[in-house]
Amino acid sequence: MLISYRIRRILASVALYALIALVLIIIVFPLYWLVVTSIKVDVDNAHFPPIFVPNRLTFDNYALVLSTENASKFWLNSIFTALATTLLTCIIGSMAAYALAKTYLAQKLRQGLILWILVIRIFPPVTTAIPYYIIIKNLGLSDTRFSLILTYVSYGLPFVIWLMLGFFQDLPADIEKAAIVDGCSMWQRFAQVVLPLALPGLTVTAIFAFIASWNEFLYASILTSYQAKTLPVVISGYMSDKYLRWGEMSALGTMMIVPVMAFSAFTQKYLVRGLTFGAVKG
Amino acid sequence: MSFLKRKPQPAAPAGAPAPSNSVQALAQGAVIVQRHAKEKFYSLLFLAPALIFLILTNIYPLLYSLRLSFFNWNMTIPLSKPRYVGLENYLALPNDPILVTSLERTLVFVISAVAIEFILGLGLALLVTSNAKAMGVIRTGFLAPMMMTPVVAGVLWRTIYHPQYGVTNWLFWLVGLPSQAWLGDPNQALPAVIAVEIWQQLPVATFILAAGIQSLPADLYKAAAVDGSSRWQAFRYITLPLLKPVIIVLLLLRIMDAFKIFDIVYMLTYGGPGHQTEVLSMYIYKTGLKFFQVGQAAAMSWVFLIFIFLISLYFIRQLLRE
Repeated sequence: MLISYRIRRILASVALYALIALVLIIIVFPLYWLVVTSIKVDVDNAHFPPIFVPNRLTFDNYALVLSTENASKFWLNSIFTALATTLLTCIIGSMAAYALAKTYLAQKLRQGLILWILVIRIFPPVTTAIPYYIIIKNLGLSDTRFSLILTYVSYGLPFVIWLMLGFFQDLPADIEKAAIVDGCSMWQRFAQVVLPLALPGLTVTAIFAFIASWNEFLYASILTSYQAKTLPVVISGYMSDKYLRWGEMSALGTMMIVPVMAFSAFTQKYLVRGLTFGAVKG
Repeated sequence: MSFLKRKPQPAAPAGAPAPSNSVQALAQGAVIVQRHAKEKFYSLLFLAPALIFLILTNIYPLLYSLRLSFFNWNMTIPLSKPRYVGLENYLALPNDPILVTSLERTLVFVISAVAIEFILGLGLALLVTSNAKAMGVIRTGFLAPMMMTPVVAGVLWRTIYHPQYGVTNWLFWLVGLPSQAWLGDPNQALPAVIAVEIWQQLPVATFILAAGIQSLPADLYKAAAVDGSSRWQAFRYITLPLLKPVIIVLLLLRIMDAFKIFDIVYMLTYGGPGHQTEVLSMYIYKTGLKFFQVGQAAAMSWVFLIFIFLISLYFIRQLLRE
């Protein structure tokens, strides 16, 4: 009886691992497919049955994507917009979060603001897309990085405020008390005591903010046409109804997700917190 | 709860002798009140940049769009001026057959995607939390889809769904099934888009639920085991009820995000074939920014907004009740 119990347990764990392996293959395969498509020659991409392990490799697609006209400009647009958005949302957002985490303002006011900020985040971006398009056009800001940064910061702020609010509330009150005794002003306490202590949280928040603007497509596609075009818009431009430029699209796609993957590895510890707006502390 | 209220002493200079008479105590009290007023002012100053920014870039555009929704304005006609039409744009909405289809498609998309993500995510979360090794492997593997640029995911899945050279048709071919059009087939397009959404978001559901399960007190399960409860009973009567707040948060976030879906649909089908995958975001985008019927699009936006607001209100209420 004992042996059969052990066999059953072994079988159960084998089944468990098989199941997890299957799920992992389904989840990870598309990523492999993206990379492999980008280094296959065109003939191998238009092949049935699909070639999963190519024996001819090429980096032509990468060269082609990087040497297209103004490729460096679009890369710079993406990098600059994402960095500026991250910096602005983190500074303005954590200042607001600090004021909301402290109790100097009336309870009702703070709660009202916190809820209002949450509601802003819930709205679908498409609902502001039309007014943005017209207002930005009327201001003469169409096709500028500035217009993208404006809209991205607006979209990112609620997220940063909510996340940082949670991180600030987690800090022990005693440390700030000591700073008060030492006669630090509120700004000094924020910049020199609280923010350095909340640095791990701030870093993760910044990474999430960066990834969000790096990935953003809707606003970029309506507010830019050429000068301020970002990479997601460039990728969408590779697609037409007649034919798919698989190799080039995959090459640019692979390059685009490299920074995202690299950064996201650093979010592990606060991942769930970031995903849930700070509601679930994983 | 302010520590200032509990302990007013720190306002006195460090090392100062304790106030010996009531005059000194009064003076100290005045200092605290003054400081508190100052902190209040500073708090407002800290809030100001974010609030002003949000008012200018969120409230103002929304009000602008509300005003726009009472006008008829076809921006494709050069020099055309908005014409006031009152509630006409709103009254026309129920008679727009594409909008009705779009709403139905959106609901099918949101409900099936979130339901499947939740069920699979819960199963996976239970699986990985019972096994530390599995957790580690899943953690790294699952990060990729959820962080991937949606536009890139769209490109990628278009190659996978390709009717001639795609991997899905290869799988069908392996088991002897006829090849399918997938994104080009009116009946398969929406399920195909839903599958991509699930692929991207299943990790989110898994991670959140796993974190929730791990935070549950282990003692309860031990006690339940001592009382001879089965695994199913432990799940049904301990895990599920205690996990309820996390489940509500997950559903709120996932439903709201699923309503926002745009990039993937844009890349995979652009709403087609016909209007089979034309979710609300896509339809509003097309009406306003492709056909430039901005008044109509603004009216739709506002109805969409109120609809989303009511749904989220329901979930937030549930959450506050917990």
